[in-house]
Amino acid sequence: MNEDRIILENVSRFYGEILGVNKVTLSIPPGITSLVGPNGSGKTTLMNLITGLVRPSRGRISVLGVDPSQPERLFRFVGYSTQFDAFPKGLTGSEFIYSFLRLSGRPAPECRKLTARAIEQVGLVEAADRKVAAYSKGMRQRIRLAQAIAHDPRVLILDEPLNGLDPLVRSETITLFKRYAAEGRHVVVSSHVLHEVDMISDQVVLMSGGYVVAEGRIRGVRSELQEERPMQFLIRCRQPNLLASRVFEHDHVVEARLLPEGAGVLVKTRDADAFCRVLNHLALAGIDIEGVVPADDNVHSVYEYLIGGEEATK
Amino acid sequence: MIRLWCTQVLAIIHLEMKKTFFSRRGLWVYLLAFAPLLLFISHSIGAGHHRDQLERIARDHPIASEDLSAIQRGMTCGEVTQRLGEPYSQRRWHFRGEHNERREQSHCRYTDGKTELHLFFDNDNLTGIDRSEPNTLPQIAQIFAGVFQSYYLRLAVFFGCVGVFVNLFRGEMLDKSLHFYLLTPTRREVLLAGKYAAGLLATVVIFTSSTALQWLALLWQFDHTTVADFLASTGWGQFSSYLAVTALACVGYGSVFLAIGLLFRNPIIPIAVVLLWEGVNPFLPAVLKKISMIYYLQSLCPVAAAPGQDVPGFVHLLISPVQPAAKSMAVLGIVILTCVVLVAAARLSRRMEINYSTE
Repeated sequence: MNEDRIILENVSRFYGEILGVNKVTLSIPPGITSLVGPNGSGKTTLMNLITGLVRPSRGRISVLGVDPSQPERLFRFVGYSTQFDAFPKGLTGSEFIYSFLRLSGRPAPECRKLTARAIEQVGLVEAADRKVAAYSKGMRQRIRLAQAIAHDPRVLILDEPLNGLDPLVRSETITLFKRYAAEGRHVVVSSHVLHEVDMISDQVVLMSGGYVVAEGRIRGVRSELQEERPMQFLIRCRQPNLLASRVFEHDHVVEARLLPEGAGVLVKTRDADAFCRVLNHLALAGIDIEGVVPADDNVHSVYEYLIGGEEATK
Repeated sequence: MIRLWCTQVLAIIHLEMKKTFFSRRGLWVYLLAFAPLLLFISHSIGAGHHRDQLERIARDHPIASEDLSAIQRGMTCGEVTQRLGEPYSQRRWHFRGEHNERREQSHCRYTDGKTELHLFFDNDNLTGIDRSEPNTLPQIAQIFAGVFQSYYLRLAVFFGCVGVFVNLFRGEMLDKSLHFYLLTPTRREVLLAGKYAAGLLATVVIFTSSTALQWLALLWQFDHTTVADFLASTGWGQFSSYLAVTALACVGYGSVFLAIGLLFRNPIIPIAVVLLWEGVNPFLPAVLKKISMIYYLQSLCPVAAAPGQDVPGFVHLLISPVQPAAKSMAVLGIVILTCVVLVAAARLSRRMEINYSTE
């Protein structure tokens, strides 16, 4: 089991008196995992801990069974694209990728091949022979990504990887992450852009103030909040009054509000599964339902419920 | 495994070379290294020019060396002129003495093409003789020893190694680019070894080439036969010793400053402490003298640099005499010190973290 997961057991990291992360326990399976939280919530610290760039003050970390304090083993299968926007001076894009690939001890021809492939994957072929210092912010982001994926890692850790990318490259990059995830690899992404995370994540880790406040598949996390924060569904139908009165007969429905101009009904329920069964019955009974959309079954809502609106929008 | 480590060390050296040899930040290292070369080149040019001038004068006013040697104090101006002829340069001063009497002083210069004689007359009486002879190669070797030990080792190589080795880690921390090295499958010890090797290669190339060029600049003023004789006797031995001492200085100081760059966020204070320790070495008791790099380096120098004659007597009293270490012991001392420092630095490097925000 450990051989297939990134495991953090009760991990804490303090910078003097300042808290980085505290008592984090996680087991990250393959797929795309997003670390979500406002600035200063501990996302980067967590990534640095996983990659051994910082050591835990307490606790234990294992990445597919390897201790991050052994870089010689860890970075054979881990790639990390950091947020640090600085590069060794005087190198072109391809020299940068090639030189650091050579540090792995691979033969020169193989490094050249891997360099060319990585640069192609991030769409920097034309700029490969230009100095990195002359790159735009988006290009620097891409060359960092190229460095992280150049050795075809099984675990890819990416700190705000979509920052500064234009829409086309952003879409290509997301496709790349999805491909990695589909191949059974780990892709750990940090982001504070919630709708993006919603689109790509298989699971999320919500962080605030150095603590993990929730983790798991986004729907699972949302379901756990049903008692305290009933789930909301927006139902479009031709008979909103009838629908509202029929659903309100059930105990788990706490609110059924008619939307203006006959736009539909907003229903709040403490049992989403039971509510879906009720909707099926109503549809079979002849109520014409045009569409059902979960209204707060996303990372943004979950984050807002858990941490509060102010932080969620940062 | 060893092969992998060697490949990684070579890759690190390749990455570092551009930075250590061609960075603007390292320009002052070249200035430090090659400043004495400029000094020796200008000395050689000056000495050669002076020698040519004397030879030209001697051709116009030929004087035998024996005649120059025969001049003694108390002779009159007429006696000197009778023996040597008219001087090629003469200056006279007239003034009134304590009792308002008229006095005359003069300064005459003669040469046989090699030795230059300065004669000082007071009222037609030769009161002072100053013989100025060109430096011989052994004298030049003594001058070189003084510059090498007091400036080159203590300041140029010392601060050059500071500039190169401290920046190997600290510079990258400040540039926020060290993490790229730490994100490769390279043992931290191998990374440290690679960086040290890169720094060593750079400093050894820069400083030993400067030493060699300084040596050449000094020999340049002498004719081929004199140089060949000197090299055949002790010259080659001295030359190779100076190169070896320069390289060993880079080895020793390099390890110390690499460790300082790794350990301290602000390396200035520890560097100042090392500089002070090396600087006060002559005044330390014999036992403490041996716990310094400069003691072993000076023990390996082929010519001892004696304290200058203008050094005050009380300073001579403060200097604690100590027998130089045997050559093998000196080399061993530097190698052991380097190994101890590098092993400690390697252990430190395993605990190294990236925390640019505090830099």
